[in-house]
Amino acid sequence: MYYFCVAKVKIASIDMFKNYNLHFTLLISFLITNFSFVSSQDIELGESLFSSNCASCHYVGPEEKKLIGPGLGSHTIDKYSKDWLYSWIKNSSELIASGDELAVAVYEEYNKLQMTAFPQFSNEDIDNILAYVQVRPEEVILSSNEDLIDNVSDNSFSSESIFVFITSLIILFSCLLTLIKAKNLLKISRGQKPINIFSGINNFIKSNPAIIVFFSIFVILFCLKTIWDGLLTVGVQQGYQPTQPIAFSHKLHAGMNGVDCNYCHSGARHSKSALIPSANVCMNCHTYINEGQISGKTEIAKIYAAIGFDPETRTYIDNYIQKPIKWVRIHNLPDLAYFNHAQHVNAGGLECQTCHGPIEEMEVVEQYSPLTMGWCIECHREEKVNTDNDYYHEMNKKWVEKYHGEDINVNNIGGLECGKCHY
Amino acid sequence: MTDIIKLFYSTFIDNKFIILFSIISIFIIACGADGNHPGYQYMPDMYESPSYETNSSNPVFKNNSTSQYLPKNSIPRGFVPFDFDNTLDDYLRAGNTLVNPISYSETVLSEGKQLFEMFCAHCHGKEGNGKGSINHPVYSAVPSYSDSITPRRSGEPMNKLKSGHIFHSLHYGLNAMGPHASQLSQEERWKIVHYVHKLQKNTND
Repeated sequence: MYYFCVAKVKIASIDMFKNYNLHFTLLISFLITNFSFVSSQDIELGESLFSSNCASCHYVGPEEKKLIGPGLGSHTIDKYSKDWLYSWIKNSSELIASGDELAVAVYEEYNKLQMTAFPQFSNEDIDNILAYVQVRPEEVILSSNEDLIDNVSDNSFSSESIFVFITSLIILFSCLLTLIKAKNLLKISRGQKPINIFSGINNFIKSNPAIIVFFSIFVILFCLKTIWDGLLTVGVQQGYQPTQPIAFSHKLHAGMNGVDCNYCHSGARHSKSALIPSANVCMNCHTYINEGQISGKTEIAKIYAAIGFDPETRTYIDNYIQKPIKWVRIHNLPDLAYFNHAQHVNAGGLECQTCHGPIEEMEVVEQYSPLTMGWCIECHREEKVNTDNDYYHEMNKKWVEKYHGEDINVNNIGGLECGKCHY
Repeated sequence: MTDIIKLFYSTFIDNKFIILFSIISIFIIACGADGNHPGYQYMPDMYESPSYETNSSNPVFKNNSTSQYLPKNSIPRGFVPFDFDNTLDDYLRAGNTLVNPISYSETVLSEGKQLFEMFCAHCHGKEGNGKGSINHPVYSAVPSYSDSITPRRSGEPMNKLKSGHIFHSLHYGLNAMGPHASQLSQEERWKIVHYVHKLQKNTND
């Protein structure tokens, strides 16, 4: 038992100091493999320089793991002399112009893409970066989204606790039944009459018909209420949360990474429909981001399969027959009602979340609002019109005169007219 | 009083009315939407439009999609084609020849700021310092607009980029940045260019 406890504590401490541990093992492994003295200071400096200058074009890892340029590691560094690397990083185009064979070969291999020059780096800076690149394993990339992994494990814990609660209830109930049974056995052995809970309750009810009546009135009222509520949900899709063909997480993209809604739904400012982004919008980032923390690799691969992109070579496949991604529509107004996104976003100045709820916290999107007429009308009665809007300059002036500077709600300017939405 | 109770008893309980009632209510509970089930509809023809809607599938076209490419060799009315290719030469040529057709004003600048915050700020940062909200390592080394040291593709540092350079990279993308021509109209891109010029003058990095 004691050993078991110790083991548990050890595991916990490893979890708590994961980052520290990682660094430490990195350092140790580096010292062992290279037999040269590099202080941890160098690697940390190198890391910060790398992430703020190099990471947008280079991964750390095998050479095939290309981003814009090759993946960096000891294999790339061992190929070239230190002096060559210094002059390449400080100004690669100068080196190419001087006719250096190695430099020209790299330039040709990467489709004549010029590497940004870094003349501000000292030889020491470059040494630090190289030290970091040689040491860093690929796991560091994976640690960047630790929050997400934590969140997921939190969720699984809560479902576990419900399970534990239910099983403990069942165990308690069966204990109670066995207790009664044991007591009955004792009573029978003594020659007494055993207790029977069910017949006892039955007898009590039969002698008191008012209880039945009271109970049935309760049941009938309850049923009426559920039928009423149920009928009101006919045609209302609030809470609809379908599984989408790609497990796209709004929580990750809009929430944790802070991508604006308009970036992908670029129609919301211009048209009736907010638009589902076409796959080329995904590719703005996912040309270079090919894997995620949980199911990213398989889900991002679905975009590539749809449009014919080869993530190994980062090129589009010629003559590929593209297959549309069949997203499931969640918000759907019946044809008898007209709704325009541009009107609400531009003139109304509404936030997306007003109607769609906290999308940036949803792992799987669900319909947050009922989208019923009553719900529309309620907002039109309460929302104030922004009279500073330039687009309706002339009209706004008239409204302000008519209402003598009082607050103007949407219903004051015809927001409740039938023909505004039904025609 | 007892008569009422008896009446109630005979109508609801003896006739098993109450059981029917509960069964109906259980069925009706299932009308609501939940998970993959969109719920039931009264007169579904009002919801499922016979006309083809934006982004819906469409049997009229060969690829079953309502969203179609433009017919070959045609341009939309009022559209001005961008006469530059996605090459280094044309990038440099754009920088030297293109002039922002939208004249500078305070409103244009504030519109540019809004657009910048929607389409650029998550990578480039609201201040244009390259510190955006995206936490993936690939987008951790975005250069600051006000950087005056590192020479970029044009041969000049970020704070010397010309309007044409910025417009070209918005249209075609540059390095890890993707092309944004499909999300932003030309007019919107030129407004963003105005705002980027303002961010280039930021000094407090």
